[in-house]
Amino acid sequence: MYCYLYDEYIQENKRFERELLRIENRLTDLGIAGKVSRLALFRDAQEMIRDEIERGVSTIVVVGNDETIRKVIDVVADNEVVLGIIPIGPGNELARMMGIPEGVAACDVLSARRVEKIDVGTVNGRRFVTGLTMPNFHAEITCEDKFRVTSIARQAELEIRNLADVTDPRDGRFEAVIRAAVKKGWGIFGKTTLKESILPLKSMAIRSEQPISLFVDGEEMKSTRFDIGIEPLLLKVITGKARVF
Amino acid sequence: MFKDKNKTVMPSSNAGETIIAQGVRVEGDFRSQGDVIIEGEVAGSVETQRALTVGETAKIHADVKAKSAVVAGEVVGNIFVQEMLELLATSHVKGDVVTARISVAAGARINGKVSMEEGGKGGKVEKVDEEES
Repeated sequence: MYCYLYDEYIQENKRFERELLRIENRLTDLGIAGKVSRLALFRDAQEMIRDEIERGVSTIVVVGNDETIRKVIDVVADNEVVLGIIPIGPGNELARMMGIPEGVAACDVLSARRVEKIDVGTVNGRRFVTGLTMPNFHAEITCEDKFRVTSIARQAELEIRNLADVTDPRDGRFEAVIRAAVKKGWGIFGKTTLKESILPLKSMAIRSEQPISLFVDGEEMKSTRFDIGIEPLLLKVITGKARVF
Repeated sequence: MFKDKNKTVMPSSNAGETIIAQGVRVEGDFRSQGDVIIEGEVAGSVETQRALTVGETAKIHADVKAKSAVVAGEVVGNIFVQEMLELLATSHVKGDVVTARISVAAGARINGKVSMEEGGKGGKVEKVDEEES
């Protein structure tokens, strides 16, 4: 049984009306139409989905973008239901990496139902699918409680990748990428180049004396400590042939 | 002209490959199942079940264990290699070496004992005193 979750911005924006109508018709043609739930300002998405799962829904289809997926990821992962995506509008990076085309074309991918299990990352207990970034990285990292990594360059940034164009989100690891600006040569003749370190890890901890900013799937978190881990093959997602992994 | 402009191309390691580049320092017991490339600084111990590449800019103050290794930088510590150890012209090793096969380029510097053991096992190796060097 399918449940379609419409994000608020789709209902408010008239330019999506026609596209929604086409999607609903196509879903009926394919025989996978289901209940429609609409997200609203004072409605808790997690509670809505929990109620639907209790009524027997086995597939939650998000009609929206990456932001919509973020709202439902915890409850979908915890209840072992399948996540489907019909991407509409901007900000659909996750759907692109899953190989799901935008709009009505996504209905055929849903109908084909190619389900993949993927890893989900966690940072201070909060889940993420794609990754994290720390633009100004001057903290100490402890990796898998065994070794420490620090940047000795003046400028560095940290990126954690779970699902990206170049990573496999089914390997039970995430990639920690440190880009350090290294200067070669003296004075004004020196040239700065970015050197990239890549560490495949299962867990890591970031510690800093001053609060530092970390962007989780684009959203900012501030703290002096971040514990990052991975939950292997936790999320079941319907993917398309054009997926990046 | 026909490239997808939205698609960002990011460099990545091969599956399970670790890269420690310049500008990064690693301290502690570093273990890996995959290939390891070191261009930065490492202190502690390094162990990989596959190939290790120590670049020209690398400074390693650690005991090193690997299946095979190519060294172009500085290693202060003992080296155990199961199969083949290749010391390039720019390499500088201060420590004992235990390996099954070795190749040493002209210009490479080794200060320590070299033992040829099948599988890079055995061979008593004394701990390197860094202050002496």
